[in-house]
Order: sequence, then C-alpha cells, then structure tokens
Amino acid sequence: MASAGLEFRDVRKSFGAVRALTGVSFSVAEGEAHALVGENGAGKSTLLKILAGSLRPDAGEIAWRGERLDLRSPREALERGIGMVYQETLCFPNLSVSGNIFAGRELTRGGRLQERAMRDRTRALLGELHLAVSPDARAESLSAAHQQLLQVARALAFECRILVLDEPTTALTGAETDHLFFVLQQLRRRGVTLLYVSHRLPEVFHLCDRITVLRDGAHAGTFLRSHVDPDDIVRAMVGRDLPPRAAAAPRDEAARPALELRALTRRPCFHDISLTLRAGEIVGLFGLVGSGRSELLETIFGLYAPHAGAVLVEGREVRLRSPRAASRAGIALVPEDRQRQGLFFNMNVRHNLVMPSQAARGTVLVRVRAELAQTARLLTEWRIKAAGPAASADSLSGGNQQKVVVAKWLAIGPRVLLLDEPTKGVDVGAKFEIHELIRREAAKGLACLVASSDLPEVLALAGRVVVMREGRIQGEVSGPAATEEAVMRLATAELKDAS
Amino acid sequence: MNRLWHTRELSTVAILLLEIAFFGWYLWPEAGRPHPFLSAENALLVLKYSSIYGIAAVGAAVVIISGGIDLSPGAVMALASVVCGGLFVGADWPLGVSMAIALTVGLAAGALSSILIVAVRLPPFIATLGVMGITRGVAFIITEGRYFDLSSQLAGGWRPLGLPADWVAPLVMIGLAIVFQILMTQFQWGRAVFSVGGNETAALFSGISVGRVKTSVYLLSGLLASLAGVVLAAVQGQGKADLATGYELDIIASAVVGGASLSGGRGSVLGAVLGTLIFGVLRNALPQVPGATFYDRLIVGLAVIVIVVMDQLLLKRGK
Repeated sequence: MASAGLEFRDVRKSFGAVRALTGVSFSVAEGEAHALVGENGAGKSTLLKILAGSLRPDAGEIAWRGERLDLRSPREALERGIGMVYQETLCFPNLSVSGNIFAGRELTRGGRLQERAMRDRTRALLGELHLAVSPDARAESLSAAHQQLLQVARALAFECRILVLDEPTTALTGAETDHLFFVLQQLRRRGVTLLYVSHRLPEVFHLCDRITVLRDGAHAGTFLRSHVDPDDIVRAMVGRDLPPRAAAAPRDEAARPALELRALTRRPCFHDISLTLRAGEIVGLFGLVGSGRSELLETIFGLYAPHAGAVLVEGREVRLRSPRAASRAGIALVPEDRQRQGLFFNMNVRHNLVMPSQAARGTVLVRVRAELAQTARLLTEWRIKAAGPAASADSLSGGNQQKVVVAKWLAIGPRVLLLDEPTKGVDVGAKFEIHELIRREAAKGLACLVASSDLPEVLALAGRVVVMREGRIQGEVSGPAATEEAVMRLATAELKDAS
Repeated sequence: MNRLWHTRELSTVAILLLEIAFFGWYLWPEAGRPHPFLSAENALLVLKYSSIYGIAAVGAAVVIISGGIDLSPGAVMALASVVCGGLFVGADWPLGVSMAIALTVGLAAGALSSILIVAVRLPPFIATLGVMGITRGVAFIITEGRYFDLSSQLAGGWRPLGLPADWVAPLVMIGLAIVFQILMTQFQWGRAVFSVGGNETAALFSGISVGRVKTSVYLLSGLLASLAGVVLAAVQGQGKADLATGYELDIIASAVVGGASLSGGRGSVLGAVLGTLIFGVLRNALPQVPGATFYDRLIVGLAVIVIVVMDQLLLKRGK
C-alpha cells in the first residue's frame, strides 16, 4: 500500500449530545478495495455522509493524494471524483436510464439538452457494465439490481476515482451480486478506489484487501484480509465474543398443526402451495427475489385474495380478506420493509407498540396507563433501547426499530408468525438477539415461517427449509441435509439449465 | 404543567392572544367612547362568524391528519343552506326537518367523496374537486338563480333550545372542538386516523382497516360542512347557491395554522378551531382599521405564511 490515497484524519462529529464520531483516522490506498464495517450506530453512515459532502465534520479532515478535501455539498464531492452508491436505490423512477445518469449534469448546448449525446454515452456505459437495458427505459421498470448498477453507471459517467458502496447487495440475489462484483473487479483494474460498506462479511472477504472496523464512533482497527477470519471481525465489531448459537429445536412430529396451506394459488405469483407448520416449529422459506415468497406471506396475511386453495389455522379454515381478519385469526406478519410497512414515524414508540393489538381487539377507548404498562413490559422483554415510551420511532437504531416491529406483533399473542427478511439491514448484535427471541417464542409454541434471502440466517434458525422457485415449492430440506449447497441447488437449478 | 407547556396548541393560543392584544391597542378609542373591538358584543360577533368556518374546520382537520384533503366544504355549505332554506321557506317544512335533510345531503356528499377515494381510488384532491363542482352545481340547479330568504321566517325572538340565537353556533363549535379533540387523542379511532396519515402502508400492515378510516373522515367532513352551511343560512338569513365561495381554502388554511401538516399524520382539531378564530379576529378587526379596506385579503394571505414559518422556527428550536 504505497501511495496515500484517501485519508481520514481525526474526523469528529457530534449531533447534540450524541458523539457519532470521536476522532476517526485511517487511510485507503489508491486503487485498493477497502471494506468499512461496524454495527448500526458505529458511525459508518456519518462518516460516509461526510465523505459525500452532505455533512461537515466538527473537526478533522479528509485528504485525497495528500491534498485536503473541503466538501461542502454532494455536488462538490462528485466533482472531486467521489461517487456514492447507496443502500436504498436513490434514483428518479419517472426518468429514463440516461436521464438518471445525467441528472443534475445534463449535457447541453446553448441550454438545449443533447439527448442523443447523452443516450450514446449511456449506451457505452451500460456496455461497460454488461447491462442489457435500453437508455430510454424508465428507471422504475428496472429491477433492484439494475437500479443499483445504474448508480454505479452514474458514478462512472462522472469519472469517479473513488467509488463508495453502502450495502449495495441488500436487495440483490446471488447471481446479481456476482454480476456487481464482476463489475467492481473490473473497475479496480482500472485504478478506481473502492470503499465498500456491508454487513455481509463473506462479501467483504471476497472483495476487499483490507477491512476497517468502526465501533461506537471510533476506529477499532484495520485488518489485512489474509491475517483475519470473519470471527475476528465480528469480535472487533461487537467488542465481545458472541455466545454460541443454540441448535435448532428438534421437530416435534406430534405437535398439532398451527398453519396449513392447501394448494394456495395466486396467479402469477405462486401456484399450488401446500405447507404445514406445527406449533413451536420454525420453518425457513427460501427463494430468490421474484420466487413469490413475499407474495405468499402477504397473501396468508390477507393483503391479497388467493385465486384458489385454503388457509387453515389450528385445523379450522379461515377466510382472510384483510390483515385485520388475519390478525384476528392469530396470524401476524413482520413485513420486509420496516420503514415503509412497519413503523409510524409521526408517532412515539408506545403508539407503535400497541397499534396492532388495539386494532385486533377493536379497542374503542385509549387507556394510557395500560398502554404504558404494556410498553414497559415489551421494552424490557425485548431489550429495546429507547429513551422511553415517548421516544419517537425514528430516534431508534435500525436493530431496535426492527425489534419494535416484531414485538408489536407478538403483543397480539399470535399463533402463527410470518417473518419476511426479519434482520434486513440490522447489525450483528441485534440480529443475534432477534434470532434468540424468535427461538424463545417458538419454544413457547409459536409457529414461525421465516422468509429470508440471507441463507445462513435461514439455516441457523429453521429446522426445515422450504425452497420456492418461480412461484412453486421446489423442495424441502431438513436436518443435516440442509446445507447452503442443497438449498441453492433447489433454488436455482432450472435457471442454470435455461441459461 | 410541564406537559401543558409542550402542547402544540399553545403557540396557536399565543398568536391569537397577541392578535387580540394588538387590535385592542391599535383600535383604542378616544376617551369616553366605547371600544369598537374589545367588547362583549363584538366578541360574540367574532365567535358567531368564526363558527361557520370552525365547525367545518373540525372535519377538515381530521381529513388532513388522515393524509387527505377535502376541497368540497364551501360548496357543501352552499348546498346545505339552499336545501335547508328551500324546504323551510319554499316548501314550508318544519325547521328541524329541513335542517336534518340538509345534514343528510352533506353526509351524502361525504359518502360520494369516500366512494371515489376508497373504492374508485381517486386521489382525494381530484375526488373532492369533483364533488365540489357537483354539490355547487346541484345548489344552482335547485335555486335557478333565486335565493331563499330565511330572515323573514326566523322572527326576532327566535330562541332555539331556549338559548339566544347568537349563542347557538359558537356553542356548537366549541362543543364539537372538545368532542373531536377527545376522540382524536383518547380513542382508537383517532389513533387510527393519525396512523393512516403517518404511514398508510404500515397502517394496513398493522391490521387497521384503512378504507373504513378514510370513509369515516370524509363522511365526517361532509356532515360538518353541511352543519356549517345550516349555521351560515341562519346567520346570513338566506339560502343561496353562491354562498361560502372559496371557504374551503380558508378552512384548510385554519387547519394548517393550527398545526396540521398537509402531508398527514400531524395536527389537531383544537388547533384548527383556534386557527379559524385567528382569521375571524382578522376579518372582524381589519375593516375597523382606517384605510385597510382593500388590504384585508393581502393581510390574511401574509398571516398564513408568517404564522406557519414562525411555527416551523419554534418547532426547530424545540428540538
């Protein structure tokens, strides 16, 4: 690592009394692929926002090739060659692909847009990224993966020398991730410096030369990939050893079925799904994006009407016309997108926590004292770190927000809990706690169906994994036969044959 | 006490008191003459005229908190005044029955809005814009340019419920403000309205019947607008198709001044009613300021902007 590329020198930032960064110093060599990891709240986002020019540090500085960068706006960062690819795909869904790439820096002549020049440049960029999309396609018609790559293309259009990627693979499938990595490797060969932020350690170890760990706003260490293994990194992130995982509970064949699906069909999302969940059982539902697993969960939860088939709860057939009916029948769903589907940011933690139980009970009058008691109980039981029941939902970290979403549903006392990506964008510590809590509830007799694209998570939680592909159940693996290879083979087999 | 200090309505009350103090000082009469603004009769006058807006603003605030908008109140008020006047004066029906039918018509207008929004899935702005045209149109068709004169029928000594006639509307407004403030803060229905306005998707995913909540708020808005229309007919002494033109915007402005956010999820019924009083005082006092005749619309417009900007600054400081 010869030349000093990108240097962070004693960067500090506080928000009121909260010290987000307490003097972070490390450097990224030019042309290196450098990973930045840490739990939520460790200060990664703050550091990235400073690098992107949308926040200014209280003290300290950032330098590139020994020269101080004084970034006052995202525009300035972009002009200095720093490109950002964010976790949530930030694009203009109403604009075309080329419109997105040139947004804010359109090619013009005498004030007139040079549509053709932009389209040609876009086509060239898309070719470099091996993206088979038209420059005129509207961004909203693109898949999540392509939208992500669109941001990479935008960074390339600005000829960025530093590319910052913040959790770029959260919404991507395995094959799409491979494509992204292929592109990133190519960029590296051209001398682009990569700063890669991710919770997914296998990706980090696959792509990056060095790994910097942040903890509680401080630099906890920078490690050479060849000198450490993922457990070392987790230890550095959490600052302690994680207790060993509990083994998945053995399947109790005698337990009564809590949820039965009989040939449930909703065209074109899924067909002929039959599945039985026993009380106390955790079943994994794995499938790539587009396999119909989210739609299946949402249909069981009454958001859509199935075209055929039946849903039985504890042996009795239920007609689920709305989420309200489903929750009354004892079915709860922890949705995939907690920001959009799970939380009310105009309300405090207490209001968020009591909402489903009140809706299910049909409460008329609000009883503040009972609500406070229920909130206090849930906050301690779930170890939710909040300033109190009156804290606003957006003051919580991602992990604690997710615990609120899970806890508010368990408060209705469901018999079946459906979880869609229960630990998406959640840090290692909170993920571990959420897993423990799911296991604990299952041990008490709750039947859980966990859909996740995080395969190690599915395997760690579930005793039995049902694999979906193209809207159908492709097979099931359980016990020692449940390995990553076996599941992936089921999830992708035909796709590989076709290509 | 500490909680009272943090309630959102306090700043609206403060603005109202400042406003009253200002006009009290500015319009102070020469020695020996009665104060033209600070008097019991004038206060009742302000309350009486504000209650027309205030009653409708209760419904408008609830709609805005639910994340929607209702553009029809002005037109519904006119239609209600025409229906009430037409039945009472034109057809000689008893006053109570005429009023009840006028309220039913308002409820029907609200029902039409809810169907268009919940079942047809039109954006609230478009749906209520349409309903605004339809209700105003029906009012014109019924009257054919005439108007119904109620004042001759409502003799001077008219005492509804044994109260002086001028007291009724302000009392109704205050009663509604209190009842709906409690419904919105202490009842699950109010919580559901806030949740739908804050995050409609999350509300659906939490097992709340979003459709039912939306239906209820537009029904309420229609009903209260027609009640305001009946009050308007009684106060003005006429039922006429072009009454209350543009009132919907004044009502929305009052709700916003009272703390409602047009993006939904925030606001208060009490604040909205206080907002109508702020504008009621302006409308009452400005004509008494010499030379201000042509400036009153301008000043009302500026007031909306200044109050909301002040409020945002206060909110930022509070954080």
